[in-house]
Amino acid sequence: MTEIDVSDIQGFALRGYNFPFARYLLLELLDPKPAQRFAGHVIPHVTTGVKWDSGKPASTVNIAFTHPGLIQLGLPEETLLSFPVEFQQGMKARAEILGDTGKDAPERWDDAWQEDRVHVWLGVNSRSQEALEHRCSEMLRIADETKGARLLYAQDASSIFIDKQQTSKEHFGYTDGFGNPDFKGAQRDCVPGQGKLTADGRWEALATGEFLLGYADESGELPVAPIPHLLARNGTFMAYRKMHQNVATFRRYLDEQAKRYAPGTKEQLAAKFLGRWRDGTPLELSPDRPDQSIVKDPNRNTDFTYGADQGGARCPLGAHIRRANPRDAFGFNGKLVNRRRIMRRGMPYGTYVPEGQPVNDKDERGIVFIALNASLFRQFEFVQQQWIQYGNDSLQGNDNDLLTGNHGGKGKFVVQGTTDPRNPPFICGALPDFVELRGGDYFFMPGLTALHMMAAGTVDPR
Amino acid sequence: MANQNGQIYGLTILSPIIQGDSKDLAHASAIRWYLARQPRDRRSPLARVTGTHQARLVVMDDVVYVGAPACEEHLQSRYLVFETNFDGDLDAYLMRMAAEAHEFVHSVWQHCVAYPGVDDPHAFAAYMKKCQVNTTFYFADVNNKTVKQNLQALQLQSALARFIERHQGEEPAVIQKAFGEFLETMRRAPAPEPGGDDAHRTPQENRPHD
Repeated sequence: MTEIDVSDIQGFALRGYNFPFARYLLLELLDPKPAQRFAGHVIPHVTTGVKWDSGKPASTVNIAFTHPGLIQLGLPEETLLSFPVEFQQGMKARAEILGDTGKDAPERWDDAWQEDRVHVWLGVNSRSQEALEHRCSEMLRIADETKGARLLYAQDASSIFIDKQQTSKEHFGYTDGFGNPDFKGAQRDCVPGQGKLTADGRWEALATGEFLLGYADESGELPVAPIPHLLARNGTFMAYRKMHQNVATFRRYLDEQAKRYAPGTKEQLAAKFLGRWRDGTPLELSPDRPDQSIVKDPNRNTDFTYGADQGGARCPLGAHIRRANPRDAFGFNGKLVNRRRIMRRGMPYGTYVPEGQPVNDKDERGIVFIALNASLFRQFEFVQQQWIQYGNDSLQGNDNDLLTGNHGGKGKFVVQGTTDPRNPPFICGALPDFVELRGGDYFFMPGLTALHMMAAGTVDPR
Repeated sequence: MANQNGQIYGLTILSPIIQGDSKDLAHASAIRWYLARQPRDRRSPLARVTGTHQARLVVMDDVVYVGAPACEEHLQSRYLVFETNFDGDLDAYLMRMAAEAHEFVHSVWQHCVAYPGVDDPHAFAAYMKKCQVNTTFYFADVNNKTVKQNLQALQLQSALARFIERHQGEEPAVIQKAFGEFLETMRRAPAPEPGGDDAHRTPQENRPHD
């Protein structure tokens, strides 16, 4: 049993809060001393991983820093240089590797990212809009009073409400947010389908070090981490990406393709794109119809594998969830994916337009994608580069992920068929870009001890 | 099971590099600088040697001592390592190298001990075979298919995907007619050139994970 010190770990790194509202404050740090003062005043607000025995709080606060942010905080050079290269470089410098080119290229990102001044990410999640406003103004007051930080951009995000009910839908209409990898020490038992596969087909939690620094990872080693050890321990790395969704383009494309999709309905084709019906039912478990009894059962809604569906007849080989988390699709009982897992904490932003109502691509609307992992290079970047922006591992050649890939009008997506002549394979061609990147960066989310050291200016690499 | 696997040959050559300088530059360095300037895409000089799947040239200075217990060993000279997988017979390939990459071969191997020049392809082939060591195991990109077969298969695969996309759902008779025309077009299509296809290369092909 791995013991982890939950009071020293930021709550955001341990679990999804499942609050309906969020605001991500992107801040610039000013001079080192006031910046440290700012960090010091934020610490008492930071939500840790301690269990909420007396119920959910009204809001939460979490904090993370870019590499320029750590420079601005006055960390010693020896420490700064000990961070992994991809984190030091930041997301912009990794654009070619990530496929962030063309419409996704950094020069087309929102203004907030253009001057390379984003130093701090302050994530506020809340139960209500009022609590959100209250907590955010409190944070900005700290920034003002300490003269340590300046707001560059406030990114609002919120669950999509349908008939006044909070949902886990995203703007294309898919139910999102199923499943995050379970790891040892997290507070719940491993849910079937969410950790790693064992040789006898069971699921167990992944090693803690795949997601938190300072613990053994799946190779039995400590993950690459900055020095001193105390700075790294209980921290994690975060990839933040604001992904604009071209909802009009998506709906039009789905309509057009569905007219030609003989083997099934429009909803079936939409399900083939993702690997789940839009209500969340996994295709592997119910290929012919959505089934709310599966969706609502946490012990079933992620409990599936692809081994018996090598040909992709149920879930296409290139479906989004099969690419992003291939489970056992590459054989070897899933061992090839255990070191490529990421935790997601994304949330939609912008107004939801129900199906059938006029919608355009221009309005601010999309998803703030957040991934947490111990190694951005080995986990997030690998998934993005090899499984999303390339198809070789999933036997899809040069085809990118239909939903989030960078296609430039050239891509294609194959829906595998069966030997039944009524169910031939179907090819979707001339893929437009359904998603466009509008900004992002890599952040280090330290543990509480590390935060205290950073605020006190006592980080000592010797 | 050395060297040959089906119709694919895995060749390994170790050519000793001349000690000392040529025009104030060490021979080994001269090879390195020359190789560093060569294109690696379809303009690569080795892409022009018919039947080459992949090829690699490395200047090996010495063997490296890696740890205790101390067992220090050294090579007697620096070596040029040349590894290539190609279609068919060794002699024929070496002759093709001499003919199709004449200038490249000379620019590289002129820095190697006992290199006879490339003007006499037979002498060059005999020299290369003297430098050959057995390849016991090599990377098979696609099992036992020639470069030409591979390129044509890839061309056909992407054309077929486009064909299906365009014609899926049409009446069988219409598809059959179109397919006949498609086959004819493919039969007449020029064979794709080896060395990679710049037009279909995406920016993401800068992939450190590969």
